[in-house]
Amino acid sequence: MPLLQSADWPLLIDLYFFLAGLAGGAFVVATIADLLGGERNRSVVRVGYYLAFLAVIPCPILLIVDLGVPSRFLHMLVSFKPDQAIGAAAINIGPFHIKPFSPMNMGAWALLGFSALAFLAALSVFLEDAKRGRNLSALRTTVGVIGGFFGFFLAAYPGVLLGATARPLFQNGSFLGALFLAVGASSGAAAIALILSLLGQGAGGTPGRLRQLIIPALLLQAATLALFLLRVGMSGGEGALQSLALLLSGPYSLIFWVGAVAVGLIVPLVLQVASRQPGLVAISAVLILVGGFLVKYVIIAAGQVV
Amino acid sequence: MARTVAMFTDVSLCIGCRACQVACKQWNQLEAEEPEWTGTYQNHAHFTDKTYRLVRFMEEKDDKGALTWNLMSDVCKHCAQAGCLEACPTGAIYRTQYGTVNINQDICNGCRYCVSACPFGVVAFNHDTGRASKCTFCNDRLHNGLGPACAKACPTESIQFGFRDELSAKARKRVEELKKMGYKDAQLYGEDQNGPLGGLNAFFLLLDKPSGYGLPEKPRLPQNNVFVDSLLSIGSALLVGIGAMVAFRERGGKE
Repeated sequence: MPLLQSADWPLLIDLYFFLAGLAGGAFVVATIADLLGGERNRSVVRVGYYLAFLAVIPCPILLIVDLGVPSRFLHMLVSFKPDQAIGAAAINIGPFHIKPFSPMNMGAWALLGFSALAFLAALSVFLEDAKRGRNLSALRTTVGVIGGFFGFFLAAYPGVLLGATARPLFQNGSFLGALFLAVGASSGAAAIALILSLLGQGAGGTPGRLRQLIIPALLLQAATLALFLLRVGMSGGEGALQSLALLLSGPYSLIFWVGAVAVGLIVPLVLQVASRQPGLVAISAVLILVGGFLVKYVIIAAGQVV
Repeated sequence: MARTVAMFTDVSLCIGCRACQVACKQWNQLEAEEPEWTGTYQNHAHFTDKTYRLVRFMEEKDDKGALTWNLMSDVCKHCAQAGCLEACPTGAIYRTQYGTVNINQDICNGCRYCVSACPFGVVAFNHDTGRASKCTFCNDRLHNGLGPACAKACPTESIQFGFRDELSAKARKRVEELKKMGYKDAQLYGEDQNGPLGGLNAFFLLLDKPSGYGLPEKPRLPQNNVFVDSLLSIGSALLVGIGAMVAFRERGGKE
């Protein structure tokens, strides 16, 4: 009889982790493209900021629906509670609380901040589009830089959150945050590339530039995934090895090896390196998105069994 | 802060009668549940939202290969460094002035992070109320000068309630006694305040190694991972940032 209990987070949460990573990744890509040449990279900036905003809209809904008492969603940030010890380094400001060692609390704050900034970034792009010649680049740069840090945080924190549980697969992995961030970057950039190619806007050097980002992001995704598996394997704990076996050779191995690794990582990587045909680039972008979701889904599923 | 209280469960005195389990249910008005066939006399397999005390019937083989029981009345450990408390994003889980750990049901919103953060699988999700629940150390009794119901009901004084420092001294003496009697594996679990999780406020005397009772040898505070995992994430972020800057850099008109 195993000792540990599981939160049994459902598919909603996997979907949230995926969308949050994609939104954060797309936002960061747009910001960097904007800083290094807003005019030249205009299409990436526009699509990136719009996408980040649209992707983050369903996020709070997914989280709230999953709560046992959805009406209390605001308790993540604020709750009228007696003045009592609620954790190491917890900061209470009136009824608000910030708990640096609770990634879920920090993530709720980050989601709030990112949503506001993603809205402002999308709004500034929209206003510039609405009236030719209007220049909001000062606002966009400020929002973009601050929002970029939030975007990184939003993409990575779910991995750190999982790492701070007692579940053996998550607890011993160390690299989950790093992996989730890489997945956020690859899926954010891939989503931008996909939308641009669907809009037929991949003019000039844009597809090449996105490609130059997607390839290293996929390599980082592969490296952090390998390091994660290695760390879990080397921890040597009984539960860790059991859940690793579920992932690599047990019931989840098909989704892991075929879905997350082969179809979702290696095939699109080869396509990106080998081909510049717009059709194949679009297909590879779709595969990157599928792979990015599946790698998160399958790790979370396997880790919640043992 | 008042003096820290503790529960000391001495498994060498446990007869597996489950009076503690029943007393807990009665005092805390926890409903009966469908029995669960676990293959041993243990019922249930896990702590549930309606079972805060759980007598474990661990079946072990002795030196001659005969079946023996490792009996243990298990309960929330009220850790000095509690994974559930640190994980809770709402501030619902708090430390009382007695050093125990409690879930404020008026604040909990049912995110279930504490369920997966407990190194002992104690916290359970209540699907009826949508909130997390666990042993309260009989908080209401505590505030009225009474010990927890399980300790009160235990007929063999296997479960004892008292101030932590006094119980510690008692427990250490008891281990020595048992060792003299020939129980060579007798050991305290969670009594050492310099040990894992800063010590447990519900600690145990075991007659076998912790794994013989299904307990982790060295329980870890999950939040200890936050720092390193975050640093690695920042490293990953730097690589992505550099990659994006290289990809979108100015190239002097060569496109």
